[in-house]
Amino acid sequence: MPKVWETLKYYLNKEKLMTVSQFLVMGVTFLLLGIFINIIVLSQTALKYLEDQAQITIFFKDEFGEDKILPVKGNLEKDSRIGTVNYVSKEEALRIFKEINKDEPVLLESISASVLPASLEVKAKNIKDLEGLTNEFKAMEGVEEVRFYKDVVSRFRAVSTAVYIIGFLLVVSFFVISYSVVISALRTTINSRGQELEIMKLVGASDSYVKNPFIYQGVFFSLISAASASVVMVVFGVSISKINVFSKGLSLGFVPGFYINPIVFSLILSFILLASGFMLGYFGSNAAIKKYLKY
Amino acid sequence: MHQIEFKNISKEYISGVKVLDDVSFFIDQGEFVFIVGPSGAGKSTIIKLLIKEESPSSGDILFKGESVLQIPQEDVPSLRRKIGVVFQDYKLLESKTVSENVSIALEVVDSKKEEIKNIVPNVLSLVGLSDHADFYPRQLSGGEKQRVAIARALAHEPDVLIADEATGMIDPDAADEVIEILQKINSLGTTVIMSTHDERIVDKLTKRVIRIEKGKLISDKEGGTYRA
Repeated sequence: MPKVWETLKYYLNKEKLMTVSQFLVMGVTFLLLGIFINIIVLSQTALKYLEDQAQITIFFKDEFGEDKILPVKGNLEKDSRIGTVNYVSKEEALRIFKEINKDEPVLLESISASVLPASLEVKAKNIKDLEGLTNEFKAMEGVEEVRFYKDVVSRFRAVSTAVYIIGFLLVVSFFVISYSVVISALRTTINSRGQELEIMKLVGASDSYVKNPFIYQGVFFSLISAASASVVMVVFGVSISKINVFSKGLSLGFVPGFYINPIVFSLILSFILLASGFMLGYFGSNAAIKKYLKY
Repeated sequence: MHQIEFKNISKEYISGVKVLDDVSFFIDQGEFVFIVGPSGAGKSTIIKLLIKEESPSSGDILFKGESVLQIPQEDVPSLRRKIGVVFQDYKLLESKTVSENVSIALEVVDSKKEEIKNIVPNVLSLVGLSDHADFYPRQLSGGEKQRVAIARALAHEPDVLIADEATGMIDPDAADEVIEILQKINSLGTTVIMSTHDERIVDKLTKRVIRIEKGKLISDKEGGTYRA
């Protein structure tokens, strides 16, 4: 172990600029990876919340009174595809309208409950059923108009997909750059200590004696960079938790109905970053050793 | 069983250059052997093959009856501890003292500090450099540097000591001192193989001489001289 620290100290003293740039590039890589994973989870969560909010509003004709609408409500509640059905009467609609437009007295003067339609707000258990239900509702007797926010959800999905692709490409690019940085940093050390290493091999140093300090160096840089990015991620997780943007927690898209506390998630993410850091450092230094130490 | 045996060794590089062509010889424990020949004859290649720094294109090399070619990579360091090598350019670390340059051979095998403290003064005494332990290589003459390299090679108490053109960069008096040390080491039972094109030394010692020219073994004579 002292030999490892000796090698590290030697490198840190001799290659200050390289050390800083190595930390920066690798730090940015892990930060990007962390941000990318966070974006995926946050957008999955936002999508889940949007989907939960997505509802169909069925507006009824004026002549289709409450006595006819309530039986329809009763029938809809029996449908296995439907989660909840909420009746909004003409009076309730006026109250909501007034609440929304309370700063527009002129507009409110001309509005009465008779102008606004009564409606049913329907939430589907599965967002995929929304379109089919909408078509069915349109064909029902007394229906004036059916609205649902299909566009918002599908547009959000499209934006998320684009973000995933760009994020993924960025992360891969920075991983390649970081991998090269690990290799070139070790090349510098190996070149500057070339004669010493050659002598070590000639006097019978074991492979591990020569190789290990370089592997430790590569892993050390990667882990410190990953740890720095992890700290940022934990701070972010704590902030999300404090602001309480997502009351249920963060949703993992691949586990339906599962929500995780943002702080716990940031700790898991930190572990992922540290594991990636270890692998990047380990494989990068092994590649450098193979190439420049001819092992 | 011979200590070292080269069996029909040929070495050809990818470029097509053939440096050794069907070379066969053996060396027994405790011998003092000169390998002579002009520059580029293949002398250094023989040494590199013996310590498995390179592999032959064909043939086999035995060390104590075991094929060097069959030694797995992880066991090569162990082979190199049994065969000490000193080079023409000394290969000393300028930033380390004489004592530290010798210690490195023991540190790389994780020897205990106590062990290093005992061995280093002993080998420095053997090469007559006890009072130079704290000197840096830049404070030493060529001959003294070569003696440090010999001390380092002896730290593992090798079975064989190879001196690859060890007197090539030093003056005749210093060369004589180095040869004297090599003879002393040989008298203690260590096999010494010296590759050289220093005619004066070879003729003075009248030891066994293996002559290599253009990659071929030309002669192998006990009590030989450089020319015959």
